[in-house]
Amino acid sequence: MTPLLATRAISRRFGGLWAVDGVDLALGDGEILGVIGPNGAGKTTLFALISGSLAPTSGEVLLEGRRLSGLPAHRVVRAGVVRTHQLVRPFPNLTVAENVAVGAIHGARRAGGGVAERTADALAFAGLADRAGQPPATLTLAGRKRLELARALATAPRVLLLDEVIAGVSPAEAQALAALVRRLRDERGISVVMIEHVMPAVMTLSDRVVVLDHGHKIAEGGPLDVVREPRVIEAYLGKGAAEART
Amino acid sequence: MSRARRSLAGIPLRAALPFAAAVGALALLPLVLDPYALNLVTLALVMIAGALAWNWMGGFAGQVSFGHAAMFGIGGFVAARLLLATPLPAPLAWLAGGLAAGIFALGAHPTLRLRGPYFSIATIGLGEAARLVFTYWERFTGGASGLSLPIVAGGKEALYSWALALAAAAVAASWGIRRSRFGLQLLAIKADVEAAADVGVSATLHQDLVFALSGAVVGIAGGLYASYFSFIEPNDLFGFDRSISFVLMCVIGGVGTVLGPVLGAIVFVILHQLLLASYPQLYLGLYGLLLVLIILFEPLGISGLALRVARRLGRGGPPPAPLVTSAAGPASPPGAGGGGRGLAP
Repeated sequence: MTPLLATRAISRRFGGLWAVDGVDLALGDGEILGVIGPNGAGKTTLFALISGSLAPTSGEVLLEGRRLSGLPAHRVVRAGVVRTHQLVRPFPNLTVAENVAVGAIHGARRAGGGVAERTADALAFAGLADRAGQPPATLTLAGRKRLELARALATAPRVLLLDEVIAGVSPAEAQALAALVRRLRDERGISVVMIEHVMPAVMTLSDRVVVLDHGHKIAEGGPLDVVREPRVIEAYLGKGAAEART
Repeated sequence: MSRARRSLAGIPLRAALPFAAAVGALALLPLVLDPYALNLVTLALVMIAGALAWNWMGGFAGQVSFGHAAMFGIGGFVAARLLLATPLPAPLAWLAGGLAAGIFALGAHPTLRLRGPYFSIATIGLGEAARLVFTYWERFTGGASGLSLPIVAGGKEALYSWALALAAAAVAASWGIRRSRFGLQLLAIKADVEAAADVGVSATLHQDLVFALSGAVVGIAGGLYASYFSFIEPNDLFGFDRSISFVLMCVIGGVGTVLGPVLGAIVFVILHQLLLASYPQLYLGLYGLLLVLIILFEPLGISGLALRVARRLGRGGPPPAPLVTSAAGPASPPGAGGGGRGLAP
């Protein structure tokens, strides 16, 4: 069976450093795939490669077997693969609703429905309906993360690449955001790849987890299995810790 | 729901009525003004159109061009040549000039690979290159001795009406663009070109379109200007001063707003007449000083001042809200290195 989204031996070099090195990834339809790994493991670079913000040095990205790599970022969005940013990037000169409407313009083109309807729907989904007319600067960090989600959702994606949408907010907000991610999949049928540092969220949300370290995929599997793997413990805690556990 | 709907919908009366009233009043001006004043108002109207068109590029898309004189000059000289060589009615010649200028702007596509100050510098090169080419292309432009144009049918009053029509169309177009999906995407590009691409906005396409549109309207303004002066020469139309003047008008009035360039153009034309007459050596320096003061103290220019006054008068929202709103965003004034500060609410 062809996976919905796949990368094949995708690699990116920055000077002498292979930030991502030969990573194979497969995302099934309706799946939530967690991507974890220590800082600098290449997780965000991987997202940039999939979303077309960065061109891969080698390897390719496939959506239902069709090649995505080589397309500019806005074309990847139109194909249905949309990323959010770890450091939220709202358009500060637009209201919350207008921010979402920019995404909805392309969502309407892809999936039909009016821009206004799509905007309202995404705002309501993200719990931002009452903030529609305000500038994004009035939102808390959690609110801006919701905006980032709403704007991406409005584009009618088939695959969302979520870069740390949960990290950095209060525990209560983290739970609410995690619930939103689950609803994206359960109610909207959107497949999700999520980079996340908040382990409880990764463990409960992900169907499968991929672990990256130094640009390589070092483990892959069910969330509970993956964190028991010596290579994973070693990547996070060092060799001694890995030996002590085994 | 929402603002998204209201801001994408049709024209509300509270904006349309004052606009219609202003155009109506201006249409009656030739009955009361002496020829000198009428000339000045005609010039101001042409400049309003030019400034508004510059603002689509510089204010909405955030790409500050220091080369719009190229399009102004091309529009002017193409229209002039057509009027000299063919019996084409003047308005059609102006349109043809605008078309040529728009095509030229499309040809400037490579500059749009750059953003912010880099784009601005590239447009200086573009404008100066155009000035030199057209100055030395004597067969076409008459070189430094310039071209004399035939008188437009209907004389100065007809010119005035056409200038008013052009300015009114440019105001309406600005308002429409600001409210359209196209405009929304331009503003997104201005704010964050990568984040815009990540929700499907093609920066290349939108910037090409807006540059061509902006260039075309500036070109039409150039054609009208040529007929208005009935004598043109490359160093005037293509001059770097000319490029700067579009930037200045928008900065004075309020970059990225709809009403700002209108106010800025009026102030600029009056100021230019006064300063050029009294301080011919100093006026460029004074413009520089004005620019610095505005960017330091009120990056939104007159519009920003008006907003402050409106707020101080204690009315909840600024009354001209649909015309001078968040469009301005981080105004990113020229020379401020893409900085700019807070928001107009």
